[in-house]
Amino acid sequence: MDFELNDDQRAILEAVETLLEQRAGAARAVALASKGDYDAELEAALANAGFTDMALSEETGLLEAALVVEAVARAGGLAAIGAAALVAPHCAGRALPGPIALASAGERGPVRFGAHARTLLVAAADEARAVRVQPGDAETVASNFGYPMGRVRTDGGESLGAGSGARLRSAWRLALAAEATGTMRSALHITVEYLKQRRQFGHPIGSFQAVQHRLAECAVLVEGSRWLTYEAAWRGATAEASATAAAYALAAAHRVFSETHQLSGSIGFTREHDLHVFSMRLQALRLELDGVGGHQRALTRSRWTTA
Amino acid sequence: MNARFGDAEEAFRDEVRRFLEAHRDLDGFFVQDSRWDAVKAFFRALGERGWLSLAWPEAVGGLGRSPIHEYILWDECAYARAARPPLGAGVVAKTLIRYGSAAQKARWLPGIRSGELHFSLGYSEPEAGSDLASVRTRAERHGDTYRVSGEKCWTSYARHSDYLWCLCRTGEPGSRGRGLSILIVDLHAPGVKVGLLPTLDGEALHEVLLDDVSVPVEQRVGPENGAWTLMAEALADERHVQFPPARLRRDLDDVVAWARRHGLERDPRVRRTLADLAVGVREAEVLGLRVLETLVKGRSGVVEAAANKVFQTLLCQKIARAALDFGAPESLVAGNPVEFLWRQSMWETIGGGTSEIMLGVVAKQELRLAGRS
Repeated sequence: MDFELNDDQRAILEAVETLLEQRAGAARAVALASKGDYDAELEAALANAGFTDMALSEETGLLEAALVVEAVARAGGLAAIGAAALVAPHCAGRALPGPIALASAGERGPVRFGAHARTLLVAAADEARAVRVQPGDAETVASNFGYPMGRVRTDGGESLGAGSGARLRSAWRLALAAEATGTMRSALHITVEYLKQRRQFGHPIGSFQAVQHRLAECAVLVEGSRWLTYEAAWRGATAEASATAAAYALAAAHRVFSETHQLSGSIGFTREHDLHVFSMRLQALRLELDGVGGHQRALTRSRWTTA
Repeated sequence: MNARFGDAEEAFRDEVRRFLEAHRDLDGFFVQDSRWDAVKAFFRALGERGWLSLAWPEAVGGLGRSPIHEYILWDECAYARAARPPLGAGVVAKTLIRYGSAAQKARWLPGIRSGELHFSLGYSEPEAGSDLASVRTRAERHGDTYRVSGEKCWTSYARHSDYLWCLCRTGEPGSRGRGLSILIVDLHAPGVKVGLLPTLDGEALHEVLLDDVSVPVEQRVGPENGAWTLMAEALADERHVQFPPARLRRDLDDVVAWARRHGLERDPRVRRTLADLAVGVREAEVLGLRVLETLVKGRSGVVEAAANKVFQTLLCQKIARAALDFGAPESLVAGNPVEFLWRQSMWETIGGGTSEIMLGVVAKQELRLAGRS
C-alpha cells in the first residue's frame, strides 16, 4: 500500500500547474464567463503538452488523468478537460475532437459546454454514441453558474459499441468527482486565507473555535473527496468506485458551498471576491447525471444488483 | 392562546391586498436597487395613505396603529414581491421619535412619512461587520460641526438614498461601543463618494467613502457616544418586519409552480421535499407571530427575534436549494425563478446580522452560556 504520488506523477502535476498558472486562474475565468466564452486556448495548450492523453498513454493512466482534471478545476480553467482527458479515452478508447460535451440520451435541459462542443458524447442505455456537431447546432443558454451552457440534440451519431454506455457514465462520474474536488479545494483555500486575515472582535475570524471546526469539517470532506477520486481512478473507473467518489464529492460540494459563503460574510456575496468563481460551479456539477441521488442509485445498482 | 388577528386587522389585510393589486407588476422586492425609481414611486403611494407611518404616534404625524398593522403591510408586500420596508420609516423614524430633538423631528419626519426621503444604513466597514464596536469611521468635533472620515461598505441602496444613518467613532480609539455616535450624513455633501459593489444576485451593494465630510452637530441623533443603546432599541423596533414569513410562503409557491411546469410534481421525492418545506413555512409563520407578540406586549423579544432570523433565513435557502436539488439542469438557466432565488437567498443568512451573531445571542441570553473574556 502506498498513498503517495510517485515521482512521475508529481512531475506531471507540477508541469500542469505551471501551465495553468500562466493560462488559467480566477481573473481569466471571470472574463471568459462574462461573455459566455469557452477557453479553447487552454484546451489546446493542455492537449499540445500531452495532458489530455494521460489515460491513453502506456506509461500513465486514469489516475494521472484525474490529477490533471482536478488541477484544471482548481485553477478555474474553463475547458472541458474532464471529458477530454477521462471520459473520451475510457469510453471510446481514443481521443475525440474537442470540445467534448456530455449528455444523457433524451436530455432536454442545457448541458455544460453544449454550445461550444464539436463532439457530443451521449449516454444511452447500453451504448454510448459520439455525435459530431457543428457550431450553431446547439442553442446557447445563459447561466450564472460559471460554465457556458447549451441545449443539444442527443440523437444520431456513431455507436461506440455494447457496454460503452456504462463506461461513459462511470468515467463521467469520476470526472465530476475530480472536478468537484479541485473546485472545492480552491473555494476552501480562498476562504481559509481570507479568514486568517479578517479580524473581528480583536482577533482573526479564523482563530475562533466555532469557525475553525466548520472549516476543518470542510477540509475533511475535501480530502475524502480527493482520495475517493484517486482510488476510483486507480481502480480503473469501475462503476462502483466512480459512483462512490461522485456520491461523496457532490454531497460534500453542497456543504463546502454553504460554509465557505457563510463564513466569508458579505464579501463572499460580491463579485469582487473570487469565491464565486469556484462556488457557483459546484452547483452546476451537482446536477449532472441526476445529481447525488443518481450517483447513489448507480452505486447500489453496481454493488447489489445482478444483471 | 389565540393565533388569529382581530377583525379590524383582517380588514386592514384586505385593504392592503386591494392596494397591492394596482402594483402587481412592481416586483421590486428582490431588485429594489435596480428598480429604484419604481420602488420609490411605490413608497410615495404608501406614504399618501399614511402607511409608512402606520405605528408612529399621532403626535408626530403617524396613524397610531399597532405593530400588527405594520407586520401585515410588509408581510403582504413580501408575498406580492413588491418591496422591502424602507429604513427611513423604520429604524430612522422610530429612533428620531424616541431620541430626536423637536427640530430634528420637524426636519426629517415629514419627508420620510411621504416616501420622499430615503436613508441607507452606514454601519458596516471593511474592518467592522459583525463586530460593530470596532467601527473606525472618525467624527472629529470642531465647534458646531463634525468632520467625518472613513469608509462604509456593503451598504444597501446608497446611490439612491438621500442620507446615510452613519455610525461613527466620536470617542477615543479603543472606546469600543462606548465611543460611538449616530450622525445623519448627507450623501450629496462634498467629500462623499459612493461606489458600486456588484453582487451575485445581479444587484449591487455600495461602498461609501467619507473624506473629511462636514456634518453639522444638529445632525447627531441622541447623545454623543450614546449610539450603542440607541442602535439596539432601533433594531428591536423593526424585529417584526425584518423577515416577513410570507416571503417564504411565496418562495415555496414559486418553487411548486416551477416543479409543476417541469413535470416534477408527481415524483415522490419531490413531493416529500415539498411537504418538509411546507412544514417549515408554517413554523416560520408561527415564530414570526411570536416575535410580533413580544413587541405588542412590550417584552424584550431579542432572543425570539434572533432565533427567528436564523430559522427563517436557513429555511429560505432550503426552499431555494430544493428546486436545484430536484436535479433538473433546467434550473441552471439564467433568469428562471428558482435559480434567482438560490443566488439571492445566499445573502439572507449574512445581511442584517449574520446567523452566527444571532446564534451567539441565543447561546448567551437564552442558554446563559458564558462568553470568553
